[in-house]
Amino acid sequence: MGAPVQNLASRAQKSSLAEGGISAKRHNRHLFSNTMFRYYFLFSILALCLVLGLVIVFIGKTALLLFDNISPLDFFFSFNWSPEEEAFGAAAFIVNTLSLTALTLLIAVPVSVGMAVLCAEIAPKWLKSFIRPVLDLLVGIPSIVYGYLGLTVLLPFLRRVSGEGLGDGLLAAALVLALMVLPTICRISDDAIVAVPRKYRDAAYALGSTRLQVIMRVVLPAASRGIISAVILGMTRAVGETMAVVMVIGNTPQLAKTLFTPSSVLTSNIVMQISNVEFDSTWNYALHMMAFLLLLISFVLILIIRILGRNRRDAA
Amino acid sequence: MNFTRTRHTARSQRNNKMATIAFYTLGALVMLLIFWLLFTILSKGLPSLRPDFLIKQPEEIDPGGGIGPVLFNSFYILFISLLISIPIGIGAGIYMAEYAPDNRFTGALRICVESLSSVPSIVFGLLGLAIFAEYFNVGLTILGGGVSLALLNLPMLARVTEEAVRAVPGEIREAGYALGMTKFHVIRKVVLPVAMPAIVTGVCLVAGRAFGESAVIILTAGLSTSGEMWDFNLFSPGETLAVHLWYVQSEAIVEDARQIADKSAAVLVFVVLLINFMFRFPLWLGRRRGR
Amino acid sequence: MKVFKKLTVTALTAVIAVTASFAGIAAAADSLKGKITVNGSTALLPLTLQAAKEFQKLHPKVKIAASGKGSVTGPQAVKKGIADIGACDWDASIDVPGFKAFDGQVANKVAVIPFATIVNKNVGVDNLTTEQLQGIYSGKITNWKEVGGSDASIVVVTRAFGSGTRVNYQAKALAGGDIVKKEKNYKETGSSGDMKTAVATTPNAIGYIDLVYVSGSEIKAVKFNGVAATTDNVINGSYKIWAYGYYMTKGQPTGATKEFIDYVQSKKFQNGSLKKLKFIPIAAMKG
Repeated sequence: MGAPVQNLASRAQKSSLAEGGISAKRHNRHLFSNTMFRYYFLFSILALCLVLGLVIVFIGKTALLLFDNISPLDFFFSFNWSPEEEAFGAAAFIVNTLSLTALTLLIAVPVSVGMAVLCAEIAPKWLKSFIRPVLDLLVGIPSIVYGYLGLTVLLPFLRRVSGEGLGDGLLAAALVLALMVLPTICRISDDAIVAVPRKYRDAAYALGSTRLQVIMRVVLPAASRGIISAVILGMTRAVGETMAVVMVIGNTPQLAKTLFTPSSVLTSNIVMQISNVEFDSTWNYALHMMAFLLLLISFVLILIIRILGRNRRDAA
Repeated sequence: MNFTRTRHTARSQRNNKMATIAFYTLGALVMLLIFWLLFTILSKGLPSLRPDFLIKQPEEIDPGGGIGPVLFNSFYILFISLLISIPIGIGAGIYMAEYAPDNRFTGALRICVESLSSVPSIVFGLLGLAIFAEYFNVGLTILGGGVSLALLNLPMLARVTEEAVRAVPGEIREAGYALGMTKFHVIRKVVLPVAMPAIVTGVCLVAGRAFGESAVIILTAGLSTSGEMWDFNLFSPGETLAVHLWYVQSEAIVEDARQIADKSAAVLVFVVLLINFMFRFPLWLGRRRGR
Repeated sequence: MKVFKKLTVTALTAVIAVTASFAGIAAAADSLKGKITVNGSTALLPLTLQAAKEFQKLHPKVKIAASGKGSVTGPQAVKKGIADIGACDWDASIDVPGFKAFDGQVANKVAVIPFATIVNKNVGVDNLTTEQLQGIYSGKITNWKEVGGSDASIVVVTRAFGSGTRVNYQAKALAGGDIVKKEKNYKETGSSGDMKTAVATTPNAIGYIDLVYVSGSEIKAVKFNGVAATTDNVINGSYKIWAYGYYMTKGQPTGATKEFIDYVQSKKFQNGSLKKLKFIPIAAMKG
């Protein structure tokens, strides 16, 4: 990091030296662009807020109609989802979504962060420049290809290992999802680790630390903010992913008591049913409420991860 | 005292070695898995891939259909969505990192933006449908697909940019200010160049995801093409390659549907590689020149 | 970055120029023009796409945009006014189990769709009766030996509630019988392709699908009440699991939409491309 800093400083100096002619015009132009872009950035964030508001209003408007017909108590705490018989209990989906997310992160986070450390700290340069593009490639594989491979390769494998008749369930979905979020978590953590200033490492090495100690006690804590963001972005992608999940989870509205119980999560249920319901039916309102619920769940999960992360950083 | 210390050091050394081995093993296993995955996808598709597959029209009855218009639409829609999402996403990210006051409201906004990326893409599709098909009444169009895709990508892009900008060490910035640069000048000349690699990673992730996205496009741009190869009309229906892949895998009747799906998947992976390369190449070039 | 900027500007200019020139050409020749949006059933999509392709060759000024997400989306999109034609696997102008009638919509028959019960290749059973199917799908029969096969648990694969295939299969093959979810060995799939792949890769699986998709050695169609699932048996009336596919319109179709539906119903298309797509012409059923 030291070299780029100097490099930049000298570049900045050069440009400001060039301005050294105290060309007032140029200075004014800089002040002008400074103000202009301030407004532009403000505009961007407002646009983002608009999108946020639009989504919330769009989902919420339809979702809230649900509670005209169904009591919130039934919706949140009943495990019976049989829309044909007017029973709209989403509890099973909520529990399944939480367990699937936990299971996915349990598999994906250690592997991805490990890969990120390998990329950023351990591997020689040629290996780095080989691993990184390969990981990027993984992002571009469309989710339905993951789903198809899950259906044709992973499920038969799980069936053989477990002796189940079907193999669909949380485990299959978590494995597919873990692979899908791997590049997201890995690449963003990688960038976070690389951004840790060189001098931190140098100081630790100078004190006689081994590489492992430097990684565990200096680099990872210093990069924790970025790694946590990476985990959150990966998690939200896992929570919101649909096309691949519907192919391997079994899509049966029931509580996943084992790893191989065919079940359903909020997203997969929304995707499977939203195109098959009439738009002014209680059923449709319930599905929109489930989408709204997804937003809430990820909001809460992110909050928890952030608080956990802050405590750990403070402890470190 | 001295004795325990060396023993301690020896243990650290051993742990260090074992950890290095463990990291390499993990890396090897993951790489093996990825290569097996890529091999499975490419080996099915590439051997039978002929150049004319890339420019021919899709067929419903006869085997031998191509993916010409859908491949074109993929790029076109990706281009439109990035045209909208990159400036706004990066702008919003910079605002969050550099301008926003560090208070509870900003924190809440950040979490809201993050939660937004867990909304299933089909909901963005429904939103796009409500905006373009119902409100503006333009039907299924390339424009609708591109804009809806941009909405889907905005949160991710904004967050990645914010993190990248925040990771830039404060002292570099201070050096800039000390030289009397304006805030924007510092951002443009000092902060952005340092944060650029991470931002490009974000753009690549987003572009790859957008290229493979199907649920949004099915709802907003449709499952058909105008039947012309170079149709730049923003109001034409715009089936993309990922959607076409979904269609041939799910519903197509044509007898070589499986092969077309395999070939399309291979092409998709290839294009994503190309996109990554395209975005990273200028960066790599710049870094080289910088040295 | 400068290169990007230049590219952007060039591309935008090109877009505007090309769009303008297209609009210019569109004004000339052929009186029939307009934009038709078709939405709804994915099962009818191959037919719609093929018809659209041929129709656009005859009338280059007509633009057809097609999409599909599920049968009920068809009439619904027509009701909302976001589609001119809603493809649907049942007659949406009358009540069907689970779905109310869409008032003021006209159902135009476009094709006959036969369905088949399919099983994984490892299943030894080759004939199932209505009662046996009812038993399997309601969860009363759970082992293949109960219907004359080997001793193995039946894995039930079905489509999501509201799928046109499921509505028709329940009405015709199960005689209105229920499909009941089970704790194990039961899964729902989202499309015909997924259904086919799921049954093909899961030993002891049973499912149902449009007859068109039955091909390859991994799955096989079983007889229904002793009658093989073939187009001939549908036409001569002995095989009962089939249904009409409909194009729903708001009132009687007019203009380009009417021309398009007429084209799909014409002898040329029905006996040509439609047959090649392995649907059955509607005229064939009158005999």
